[in-house]
Amino acid sequence: MLSTWRKLTPQERRDAKTGYLALSPWMVGFVVFYAFPIIATIYFSFNEWTLAEPPTWIGLDNYVRMFTRDPLFVSSLRATTLFVIISLPTKLVLGLMLALLLNLKIPGMNAFRTIFFIPAVISGVAVSLMWIWFLNPDTGVVNTLLSYFGIRGPLWFWDLHWALPSVAIMSIWKVGGAAIIYLAGLQNIPAHLYEAAEIDGASKWSRFWRITLPLLTPTLFFQLIIELIDAFKIFTEAYVITHGGPLKATYFFLYYFYEEAFRNANMGYASALALFLLVVILSATVFVVRTSKGWVYYEN
Amino acid sequence: MNNVFFKKALTLASLLVLLLCGIGGAAAQDTVTLTWWTTSGRDSPEPAIRNVIAAFEAEHPNIKVDVSIMAEGAYNDLMSTAIAAGEGVPDLAWYWSNNWLPQALDITDRLDNDPDISRDIFHTEYFNNWVVWNDMVIALPYDIGANFVMYNKDVFDDEGVPYPTQDWTPEDYIEIAKALRNEDKRRWGGDRPRGPFRALWRNMGATNPYSDDSTTVEGYINGPESVAAYTWLWDLVNSGATPTPADLEVLGTEGTGPVDLFIAGRLGMATLNPGSMVSTLEAGVNFGVVPEPRVPGNENWVHGWALRAGIWKDSEHPDEAWEFLKFWNGPPGQRILMEQGLGHFPPIPSLLAEYEHADTEWYQGFLTVLDATQTASWRKDHPCWRGAVIRGVRDAWDLIMLGEIERDEVQATLDAMVEPGQAALDECVPRLGG
Repeated sequence: MLSTWRKLTPQERRDAKTGYLALSPWMVGFVVFYAFPIIATIYFSFNEWTLAEPPTWIGLDNYVRMFTRDPLFVSSLRATTLFVIISLPTKLVLGLMLALLLNLKIPGMNAFRTIFFIPAVISGVAVSLMWIWFLNPDTGVVNTLLSYFGIRGPLWFWDLHWALPSVAIMSIWKVGGAAIIYLAGLQNIPAHLYEAAEIDGASKWSRFWRITLPLLTPTLFFQLIIELIDAFKIFTEAYVITHGGPLKATYFFLYYFYEEAFRNANMGYASALALFLLVVILSATVFVVRTSKGWVYYEN
Repeated sequence: MNNVFFKKALTLASLLVLLLCGIGGAAAQDTVTLTWWTTSGRDSPEPAIRNVIAAFEAEHPNIKVDVSIMAEGAYNDLMSTAIAAGEGVPDLAWYWSNNWLPQALDITDRLDNDPDISRDIFHTEYFNNWVVWNDMVIALPYDIGANFVMYNKDVFDDEGVPYPTQDWTPEDYIEIAKALRNEDKRRWGGDRPRGPFRALWRNMGATNPYSDDSTTVEGYINGPESVAAYTWLWDLVNSGATPTPADLEVLGTEGTGPVDLFIAGRLGMATLNPGSMVSTLEAGVNFGVVPEPRVPGNENWVHGWALRAGIWKDSEHPDEAWEFLKFWNGPPGQRILMEQGLGHFPPIPSLLAEYEHADTEWYQGFLTVLDATQTASWRKDHPCWRGAVIRGVRDAWDLIMLGEIERDEVQATLDAMVEPGQAALDECVPRLGG
């Protein structure tokens, strides 16, 4: 590296210094807020640490416990995976459908786009409190509407079988954020392709399958990764509304991590849990990236 | 001449500046600034906290208190982080978590040798259970509270039901709740316990969820007394006289329990706390206070608590911090907080007697509750209960609350809790002790 530096002309060195100087805020931020915490988490995951006392090295004990004798690890992983399976495809499909609607050329469309985007920018806690009222079994909007059709609505967050779907519904409600990204992708599709297809007599359905969807796959790919990571990180709803219940139906992985770290004074084990989640998300992301070659179409 | 004059003037000015700097420096050295982290609420509103500090600073002009008043969640995170980092911990803090206690200064000698204050002025139960740790006094108590049953006298009169008495039983509770239930008025008789709190075991059968030596769950969580407690819970939940968890969660004020339902007259009885008591008083509700019911012959147990202010063990100003601690937790500070906070009850019996509603029936009922034995006397020696074990055995509670099991399945359900409870205990005890 030093030899490369020596080969540079004075002007190139000045340019390089300027470049590194410009990069330095990001690099400092990366080291302080990402690299160091990740390295510290790896270290602490091999320790027992109650916060009040210095960490004690225990080797692989935290991992042995996690994989062999921790029922909460299993149940929290199960709840999180179930949530991902329910919410991820639904959000992807609904987001795309919504984007197609928002791409129509009708009066007042900007207002519609704004309305649908609002849920994506509201604080998670505020949204949670609002949904507590929406899904109130007795006086909530949803059950009141259902009652007009003679349907007795469930207890939602307080029902063993409906708690997790209720959280998923909340998450799906914020689909407007994804729709805006899809919309940007839709508007990047060259209009001449549709014109050519129309001249050739292609139906709307055919145009969607043969032009829109293939050209939208880069956006879909991006959304899939973002939503996948987001879904695995589900926490606020469990923290604010369900506290992991009932009967651990919404005992999500990050909620378990939080309880271990900040309520059970078990920072070492919490670090191991955090690392495990990192590996799961990373593996899922790598899997999606690897398979993307087969289904993501780049026009260039 | 001018030069000489200017030289002299310059020298004099320099000396004057140095002298003033010296005086300023000396003054700065004499004034100590303490950092104090706490939270505020209706019981300790920010103006009252600042008034206590102002009164203290007036008495101690050489000590300034730099208070940071935070939201509770942020407070816990900041304290945990500061303690973990080993720096930035304030001189004085509210030691909320038991896990923080090793960071608090042992003030036993200071307390026992200071003529201005004595441990005798404090309520014995609150003092022993909340600020004595490993035989050391590590903090001083303030702002005490407890759970008790409040009953709406108008609802009782409306239904012609006699008021509960101090020695009422769990069966009485269910029967009264049923008698108060009025579907036409959308009224429930009484609320249901909102978590597997210690008082449930203690008052139902003087048992614990696991052995006193923290080694065994079998025979405790699923023992006959525990089964009796949970069967009572099943009976209550299935009596139709109590709101569902959904009703309680949604219709009650966030985080404060079913006080809204109680104030609205839709709940005849509710297990509440001093803050709710004051809200009810403000709403003009005619109410009474009794302890939670207990099995005949049992000692009466109460879930009580005190906040505790302590000095950081590495504080650079422990003497000055002690002066503030005495003031804040002692009669001068606690009187201000009691008079200016809503529902701030000091841990000092002589001050409790000065409360503005001291001669009312409900307040006397409240004082009786404060004198009961606290479940904290067990819990403080068992740090694993609240963090780990309760989570392991919570499923039994949820199953009953959800109506997922039959009455004769209570025993089997509790039997199933032995394994996760024991696993939680085995994991936690070597780490946190107890």
